[in-house]
Amino acid sequence: MLLYIAEIVAAIRISLADRTNFTVLFSGMVLNNGFVLLMWFMFFAGFRSVHGWQRADMALQIGILAITFGAATVFAGGYRDMAAAILRGDLDARLTQPSAVLPRLLAQESGPHGWGDILVGVLLLAFAAALRWQDLPALPFILAGSLAIFIASGVLFSSLAFWAGGARSFARDLVEFILLFGSWPGSIWSGATRLVVYTLLPAGFVVVLPVHFLRAPSLVEGGLLMAAALTYAALAWAAFTTGLRRYRGA
Amino acid sequence: MSAITVRDLRKQFRYAKSGRGLRNLIAPQYTNIDALGGISFTIAPGERVALIGPNGAGKSTTLKILTGILLPSGGNATVLGLTPWQDRMALARRIGVVFGQRPQLWSELPVRQSFALLRRIYAQDAAPFATRLDALSERFDLAPLMAQPVNRLSLGQRMRCEVVASLLHKPDVLFLDEPTIGLDITAKTTIRDLINAQAQSDGLTVVLTSHDTRDIELVCERVIVVNAGRIVVDQATETLRRRFLARKLVTLRSAAPAITLDLPGVSARPAEPHIAMLDVDTRIARIDSVVAAALSLGGIEDITIEDPPMEEVIHEIYAAASAR
Amino acid sequence: MKPTPLWPWLRGTCAMARVGVAATLSARTVLLGRALFYLLVMTVLTRFWTTVAHETSAAGITLPAGILAYVAITEWIALSVPAIHLRLEDDIRFGAVEAHLLRPIPYLLGQIGQTIGAMLVRLALLSPGLGVVLLTGESMLPPITAWLSIIALAVLGGTVHILLIALAGLSAFWVRRTVAAYLVMQKAIFLLGGLFIPVTFYPDWLARFARGSPFAASLYWPAIVVLQPDQSTVVMAFLAVFAWIVALSLLCAAIWHAGLHRLLTQGI
Repeated sequence: MLLYIAEIVAAIRISLADRTNFTVLFSGMVLNNGFVLLMWFMFFAGFRSVHGWQRADMALQIGILAITFGAATVFAGGYRDMAAAILRGDLDARLTQPSAVLPRLLAQESGPHGWGDILVGVLLLAFAAALRWQDLPALPFILAGSLAIFIASGVLFSSLAFWAGGARSFARDLVEFILLFGSWPGSIWSGATRLVVYTLLPAGFVVVLPVHFLRAPSLVEGGLLMAAALTYAALAWAAFTTGLRRYRGA
Repeated sequence: MSAITVRDLRKQFRYAKSGRGLRNLIAPQYTNIDALGGISFTIAPGERVALIGPNGAGKSTTLKILTGILLPSGGNATVLGLTPWQDRMALARRIGVVFGQRPQLWSELPVRQSFALLRRIYAQDAAPFATRLDALSERFDLAPLMAQPVNRLSLGQRMRCEVVASLLHKPDVLFLDEPTIGLDITAKTTIRDLINAQAQSDGLTVVLTSHDTRDIELVCERVIVVNAGRIVVDQATETLRRRFLARKLVTLRSAAPAITLDLPGVSARPAEPHIAMLDVDTRIARIDSVVAAALSLGGIEDITIEDPPMEEVIHEIYAAASAR
Repeated sequence: MKPTPLWPWLRGTCAMARVGVAATLSARTVLLGRALFYLLVMTVLTRFWTTVAHETSAAGITLPAGILAYVAITEWIALSVPAIHLRLEDDIRFGAVEAHLLRPIPYLLGQIGQTIGAMLVRLALLSPGLGVVLLTGESMLPPITAWLSIIALAVLGGTVHILLIALAGLSAFWVRRTVAAYLVMQKAIFLLGGLFIPVTFYPDWLARFARGSPFAASLYWPAIVVLQPDQSTVVMAFLAVFAWIVALSLLCAAIWHAGLHRLLTQGI
């Protein structure tokens, strides 16, 4: 754990070292999110709701997604290029060192643009998501669960690289799919699409379930979120360790 | 007790055949490649051994198995009494590894910070680590480099830092995979000298793979030649040179523009005016006879008698192994 | 001032376009992934607009019939545009540009040509998915003659899109990573280009601004013909895309020269 913290602190220091680069990326991300929010605010100004999902719910959903994505980029940014690292053989050097490989892969990079997402997410939750004071204690739990599922999905998709060379871009695309599904009102899913967002591309667990839980907390939904986080984490760990055995020629 | 023991080590890689379209999805066919066909050797503590062979011979595969990266298909091996692929973490604390083509330092961090992270990885106490770092830094002349990001260093500077990084935790065995690849002559000499000095002072066991024969000659006292997954030769460096080449190279410098020496067992190599390079087969011609004959011509200003370069030795070994 | 060799440049650009076609066709798995992504996106948008359509009648707002056809066209164009900004970023940052300066065709023109070639392949390969979406939708489709205009406008609109993304890529002369510039450009195209809904649904002031912007030339103008296939809209669409292709080309050339000057005098 201490090693992970030391490595991610080093990665964050690197990302902050070039101030111009950091400013450009940070501002770019804020502007990028601003465009998205403008689009949604204009939409809800005209259309009022989407199957019960209103502007404040959309703000809450996007806020959770932005914080989750931003935190993953800042604190576990290595997930984005993990497939490429596997295909390049970067694991060799790490395997000769006395530490677990996966945490070190996650900690090898920190994206400065993630801070922009975190800031926008916090502002959305604070000023547009219509949260009540009594919702605040549940927020860390929600965000932790969301983050765990998102990072676990990234690891799971990247682990495909142990089996297929073309997995590098495919893994990135799968993460983009989660963001795509997570960027649209959670109230539109039903039938097959609902099945997809709660299994293969778990945007449902990353954003939709957290929104439901915050609006109307229930033990069932809280339990579901925790179970989903543990399940995806276990799946990611299993996929990675199985893939690593294959990498080592077992 | 030996530092490294390898018994009948085998490794087979399996690749799916491509170019069969959809049939590959339904009934894939595989090709088996024998990377190692059963190799055995022992390395004593403090020995410095070169593991050489042509491309695809199995050197890197052997190194990866001994460092715990790869699992073998058969046979067994122990490094410092540990089975590498089973006791990877425990072994990692006691070995150092340098990959010439795969850096382990953090490219955007200053060198000092990379070393600090390695202290955490190897769970070293701060005070003894600092002492060790200072000593290595002085020996490897790293003081001017410590504050610079790794990606700003030249290749030679980076390799010095990589070697130091592999020595900071006081390993008992040092594995080096092509440590001088891409370096200029000066940088190669520096790296070799430093490895030798450190190995002697720490009593390190060194296993090195390289295509540079000077690495072998100047660092290692023993050579294991691998070809097509099998050990072809396992001998002391000096014995290897003498055994495989009953030859000497005699270089003469003369006042006369050309030197002609017509003796059985002596053949001339192309050379510049006033220089003659003679290949002497010592099974046919004695060196003292050749030197006497050269001196009798008169005008000889300089004579050098040396063993042929290791490159030629290796080339002959590869050629002999391929012919079998 | 030396005259520019237009005809050799045009031939060279066409040759680079052929390179783009060949390279894209060889990456079959990536193309398959893109087709899958298009279908997923259309699934999401179909769910979204179908849900919204049920609500709007109660609120007194009517969605245009054929909104899904409109969105299918804008997504078809948007997903067909390759990431030229990444290639520019790599070449500029790692010095590969310098080798290209010795060639008889300007580097940027060659890259744009290659990207257009790649885009044509993607447009062709995504068109079956487009066909499925249009034929399974409930809206009335325009006549065949309008489709010729739509396809031509899609290619031209895609070219505008490429030029806009190239502007983001050229920022690599000044910043390390173009991701921020690219994302801003992408969102501007999505919002002001009317990716999800025609810009005519925006507040008046924004709709006027968007229609006159280059972003609308990349998506809105090609796609609006499917909702309004009348002659005046078609003519307006062609005028808008041609005007912006010229203007953006000049802008790209100016930024390229400024960046190249910086590279050659200061290095990167």
